[in-house]
Amino acid sequence: MKSWTIGLAAASLAALPLAPVHAQPSGTLTVGLAAEATIMDPTRSSAGVDQYFFGQMFEQLLRTDPELKQVNWLAESWALSEEGGKPVITVKIRPGVTFHNGDPVTSADFQYGMQRQQDPKLSRFSHLLNAVESFEIIDTLSFRLRFKEGDGSFITSNLHLWAMPKRHIERVGEEEFQRNPVGTGPWKFVSRTVKEELRLEAYEGYWNRQHRPGVKNLVVKIIPEDLTRVAAYKTGAIDWIDAVPPASAAEFSKLENTSTVTAVTGNNLFLNFATHLPNSPFNDVRVRRAAAHAVDMDAIIKRVLFDQGERYTQVGRGTPGHDPELKPYPFDPRRARALLAEAGHPRGFEVPCYNLTTPREPNIKEMGEAVYAYLSAVGIRCQIRQLEYGAWINLGRRDAPPEMDGVVSWMWSHGLPGDPGTPWLGHMHSYQAGRGLGSYSYTDNPEMDALLRQQQTTMDPAKREELLKQIARIKHDQVLGGLPTYRPMVTIAWRTSKVAFKPWPGPGFWRNFQEIGLK
Amino acid sequence: MLRLVLRRLWQGAISILGASVIIFVISRLSGDPVVMLVPPDAPPSMIAEIRAQYGLDQPLVWQYLLFLGHALSGDFGNSYRWQMPALQLILDRLPATIQLAACGLLFSVALAVPIGVLSAVHRGGWIDRIGRVFAMLGQAMPAFWVGLLLILVFAVQLNWLPAFGHGTPAHVVLPAIALGWYPVAAQTRIVRSAMLDVLDSDHIRLSRALGTPERLIVWKYALRNAAVPLLTMLGVYFAAMLGGAFVVETIFAWPGVGRTVVEAVFSRDFPVVQAGVLFTSILFVLSNLLVDLSYGLVDPRIRDVR
Repeated sequence: MKSWTIGLAAASLAALPLAPVHAQPSGTLTVGLAAEATIMDPTRSSAGVDQYFFGQMFEQLLRTDPELKQVNWLAESWALSEEGGKPVITVKIRPGVTFHNGDPVTSADFQYGMQRQQDPKLSRFSHLLNAVESFEIIDTLSFRLRFKEGDGSFITSNLHLWAMPKRHIERVGEEEFQRNPVGTGPWKFVSRTVKEELRLEAYEGYWNRQHRPGVKNLVVKIIPEDLTRVAAYKTGAIDWIDAVPPASAAEFSKLENTSTVTAVTGNNLFLNFATHLPNSPFNDVRVRRAAAHAVDMDAIIKRVLFDQGERYTQVGRGTPGHDPELKPYPFDPRRARALLAEAGHPRGFEVPCYNLTTPREPNIKEMGEAVYAYLSAVGIRCQIRQLEYGAWINLGRRDAPPEMDGVVSWMWSHGLPGDPGTPWLGHMHSYQAGRGLGSYSYTDNPEMDALLRQQQTTMDPAKREELLKQIARIKHDQVLGGLPTYRPMVTIAWRTSKVAFKPWPGPGFWRNFQEIGLK
Repeated sequence: MLRLVLRRLWQGAISILGASVIIFVISRLSGDPVVMLVPPDAPPSMIAEIRAQYGLDQPLVWQYLLFLGHALSGDFGNSYRWQMPALQLILDRLPATIQLAACGLLFSVALAVPIGVLSAVHRGGWIDRIGRVFAMLGQAMPAFWVGLLLILVFAVQLNWLPAFGHGTPAHVVLPAIALGWYPVAAQTRIVRSAMLDVLDSDHIRLSRALGTPERLIVWKYALRNAAVPLLTMLGVYFAAMLGGAFVVETIFAWPGVGRTVVEAVFSRDFPVVQAGVLFTSILFVLSNLLVDLSYGLVDPRIRDVR
């Protein structure tokens, strides 16, 4: 048995076995995923889970490597400059990259990809390209992006653009492309049976000879039930398993002939307080700090999440804006009660506490209940109201009733390594109807608003890093925009004697088969 | 007979229309689907655009009339999540669900009929008691628990059958048992009670007096008469299995309609929910119609009355 943890000690990845680089991959490998993508086209995606499928077949200009460092991918090089006070990004595409149908990748494919991404009828993320003024083709393998204004998330989002096969889509049409996607990735599409499986084949013409599959056929089975997925692994029906249930993670790390890796995910969970209501007790920073001291998150992670979580303070490790000097508020119920008394609540108070029950993350319902029990113990007496996902996300929004009037267990995600800038605009900038700012925010702080808008337009990575750290420090001190609780972790396991696997995030999640092969 | 069929079909159409109204209204009471399709920072203009794209900005009554009009021509709209026709999504999954429900029903009847008959024949004896305890076990254990137990024993420990999936006859065995065991107790009680009534009737006593072999009396004459109440319930059970198979489908990763619809409920994917519920309603009505028509086959008196 071999076990690693990513995120806690990213450097340990250097010890991971690399998939053998076969000249001609052969054989078939069957893996089991817990969740299923609905869409296989990165432009049309509406949920993070879609990346599990299209992330195998499509690629971007940059990507995150196993050490969570951004590296050039389809871009051979790129540069950020300024012309007339406006940012410009110049990209040189890697030569020799081809789509699965053999067409070479050119600047026109990225231009076409951008046009599709900007079309609100196709893309639900079209607003992310609002800052781009123009796309100029310099030659077949280089292009220039001109911006109306700075876009802080553009670089951290791997330059946003995907290589989309212009000539192919124009030839076969959108419908056929949705059925049989064609990208540049290490895997090419073979077939898909909804609710059952995805079949992929290693792309022989894949450009990256160093990091590529070592098996010819990959069968991705969809097994949503945790215990069935575990049974499928134990019976040998699958040789690689996603999302080992937290309660089974320890057992898997001791299983014979099994390697495991535990990695932090891109999700960031926190408690949010209804500080937008004039009579809310949480308007007083002492009450928010009391809540921060009231919860023993380490104990909850250990007992409820079976160590499948990582504490974080505003920004997780490896993410821009992470400040190692910021430490979580220590668990100190006595201090919490004293702060509540100072704030005029010596006997505490009752408050609705909204808990998400849909398993967006393992044991999330139980985690919320445990947190609310700790709050209740110091006097923030929670009347727990359980919500499934649809009701929960509707409750959280500021633009529609009913209004969130207490504490809610919330989360933000920006993939891996992620960037807190855009999510913070959603849940910490003051709510401004019609502008998409503060859509889930209960905070109204002009100083914070100014900093958030500044980071929104700052593209220079070093300046941006400093700004994010500054925001994080204020956020932490004032417990603004909620109280961070933990980042969920995922455990993946595979059969050591049969499978060679190196985990790659692709692009935002760990379910990527960039390097998987047979031994 | 034709009049009966037409009357039942008319009643069925009214039921399906009622179901369509209920599912249409209830699904829309559960919240706005659009906010689940866009990122948190999506501008209101984008939300409005998507709402208009799916016709969700129209008055509810108009939305329903449009839905009904399109549904009559087989167009249930595109799934919000899958971005493909909702009807295709359901129809592609339907054979798997029908296969599972049929096998589950077959398993339950294959178990309930002999247990019910033997319990009636040996009323109060040890066979009766054991049979009833065995049947009750199924009703006392929820399908998800039976399913997990079956996987643990027959897939993990014994390695006899696959733990999940779909495709070969072996794949259907465990899900069918998990789905079919629950109604065994109720079906056993129906068969037992009907058999006790029939075995006490005059024509059975006459048959015995005439020296007809007991095996023939029980398994042919009595069982045929006792089958009518079970037959009545089979239509309901089959429909309930079609609609209620989602737990078993999830546990065994069975690619059926139930799992598809339940996941659509969680993501507020109205077109898929509506298509799934309407198709289940249609199957419910049809299976009940078939049961009504089959009465005449087992009991000539019913056929003659009609």
